[in-house]
Amino acid sequence: MSEVTLNHVAKSFGPVNVIKGIDLQIKSGEFVVFVGPSGCGKSTLLRMIAGLESITSGKISIGGTIVNDLPPRLRDIAMVFQDYALYPHKSVFENMAFGLRLRKLPEHEIQTRVNNAAGILQINHLFERKPRELSGGQRQRVAMGRAIVRQPKAFLFDEPLSNLDALLRSEMRVEIKKLHHRLGNTIIYVTHDQVEAMTLADRIVVLQEGNLVQYDTPDGIYNRPAAKFVAGFTGSPPMNFAPCRIGEGGRVLHVAGGVDLPVPARCVDECARHIGREVIFGLRPEHIGVPTVDAPGIERIDGSVLLVEPLGAETLGLIKLGKHDKAAEVTGRFEPDARLQVGQNLPIALDLNHFHLFDCKTGLAIRGNGW
Amino acid sequence: MNFNFSRRTTVWLAAIIVMVNGFFPAVWILLTSLKTETELIRSPITYLPEAATLENYMTAFTAQPIGRFLLNSVVVAGLSTALCVLISALAAYALTRLRMPHRNLIMSLLLAISMFPLISLMVPLFKVMRELGLLNTYLALILPYAVLSLPVCTLVMASFFQDIPPDLEAAAMVDGCSRVGALFKVVVPLAAPGVFTAGILAFVNAWDEFLLALTMMNRVNMRTLSVGITLYQGEFAFPWPLISAALIIALVPICIIIAVFQERVVGGLTAGGVKG
Ligand SMILES: Nc1ncnc2c1ncn2[C@@H]1O[C@H](COP(=O)(O)OP(=O)(O)O)[C@@H](O)[C@H]1O
Ligand SMILES: [Mg+2]
Repeated sequence: MSEVTLNHVAKSFGPVNVIKGIDLQIKSGEFVVFVGPSGCGKSTLLRMIAGLESITSGKISIGGTIVNDLPPRLRDIAMVFQDYALYPHKSVFENMAFGLRLRKLPEHEIQTRVNNAAGILQINHLFERKPRELSGGQRQRVAMGRAIVRQPKAFLFDEPLSNLDALLRSEMRVEIKKLHHRLGNTIIYVTHDQVEAMTLADRIVVLQEGNLVQYDTPDGIYNRPAAKFVAGFTGSPPMNFAPCRIGEGGRVLHVAGGVDLPVPARCVDECARHIGREVIFGLRPEHIGVPTVDAPGIERIDGSVLLVEPLGAETLGLIKLGKHDKAAEVTGRFEPDARLQVGQNLPIALDLNHFHLFDCKTGLAIRGNGW
Repeated sequence: MNFNFSRRTTVWLAAIIVMVNGFFPAVWILLTSLKTETELIRSPITYLPEAATLENYMTAFTAQPIGRFLLNSVVVAGLSTALCVLISALAAYALTRLRMPHRNLIMSLLLAISMFPLISLMVPLFKVMRELGLLNTYLALILPYAVLSLPVCTLVMASFFQDIPPDLEAAAMVDGCSRVGALFKVVVPLAAPGVFTAGILAFVNAWDEFLLALTMMNRVNMRTLSVGITLYQGEFAFPWPLISAALIIALVPICIIIAVFQERVVGGLTAGGVKG
């Protein structure tokens, strides 16, 4: 009942095209996250859905109704803003009740709804306070409460956690996810933080300069990135990249720096179609480590350690592949007991079952069926 | 001499100069209004009235219809202020919130207009009001007063609106307000200090205005206070104590208004609505 559909939606501010024709279907009850670097148009797109920005062209519908010409108050959505946007002159209770009062709900209904929402968020004891008397985390809860009481078709969140410190942020992340399970409303959530996106979303929209690059589940985004941009945006640390050329009938990747890697058998056919092309080779850090078992697709290479970053549970190592001066440098994830030392030479295992190829110019992924 | 004052001393000194400069005339008028005319012209002069009398105040009410002047002034100043604040709130909103082209040009023009000498507008305004048949009606003053205070009120309110986070309005609009609703339910209450500042400016402007009041209203019972007070002087005589009493009567409403609203004018309301 509350699906959100975008049809060729575009936006320009004067001569500047900020959103460049986006098609998107969000199912009822789905948690969708818009993610992308700062300035890519996430907020603008969200505000267009909210009705706070006009739509230059295209159509947006919410719950089956085209809302292009409806003001925000008639779109039946609620929004949580980055800076909370609580009404400073109203108490916590009145902040939450404001939308209900405007809709002229009976007083007992207002009381019930506000009390319920406050119960969920554990802010009942704050009712009499003014926003300035609250901590950042409490303000965030009130802002969410104000959205919940409305029982809208969809919740829109614009970077709601970016003003909180790291600990509170992960706590609120869990709360938001619980809230979604509990209420089941459609949620559209904007963030520039890929961790938030991966942990919260049913599906993720990756935006780059006003274009939709990929719309997929977190698994799809992570394991089957549609473009180098997506691959480089997700994971921490993100995917390693190195220029490479496909040779020998699609069976070998000549990676810059004189390393030759065999293409796994199931990928040879697709690679054969790109023989001689300059492409970009990509491999995630978790597929680079010390050799343990020999298995098909696992390739051993001599490497040397350039830098060690112990994180506690794991250690990141910056590894130079091969001996060549211009050898590729990649980051791998190692067990802490691998005891990496800077300058150390050691055999490195690359799990090529998980490699990616991207077009040099367009950055789009080159991928056969079933990769 | 040693001029090595501390910072504190300097601040106090400046404050005292401002206070004396501002209050001395008012106090002098108050004292004068309590003296008899004979005491006033006697030499050597007395500073405090020898036998304070309220007689001048009585005479002020009997010699001229000052009650009526007062009413006229309140009506004219009050309504022109309301009109001016309403319009300048909308104008200030447009200038700060809607992405208006030539916004800075418009702001500069407003500033320029607010410096326009009133005297140059007198003749055209008089002609317009006569054509409209508005002479000797409240509208003849309400309209021009509202317009004359518009630029400065708009600028004052714009500077206050600018400090209110746009997301507050966005939140109100999502919550269920129309754009204008959000303006009057959220922006204006938060900009209350600015709104009251603008309102007081407009009110005082209207209250003090003389030239237009003299020109537009020639029937005695339509006179406003500023003009009415001049009626106390005779052809050859200046009954200073009587005029002083009338002046004090004219001052009272302004003092009341400022006393009532000064708390509101003190800012700090917006703190805490956004992250901070
Ligand atoms: N009101 C505006 N006028 C002109 N350009 C704007 C306006 N709002 C946003 N932009 C531009 O649109 C682009 C996208 O902005 P935004 O949606 O806020 O990005 P994000 O939320 O992804 O950081 C930015 O380049 C920004 O400069
Ligand atoms: Mg943003």
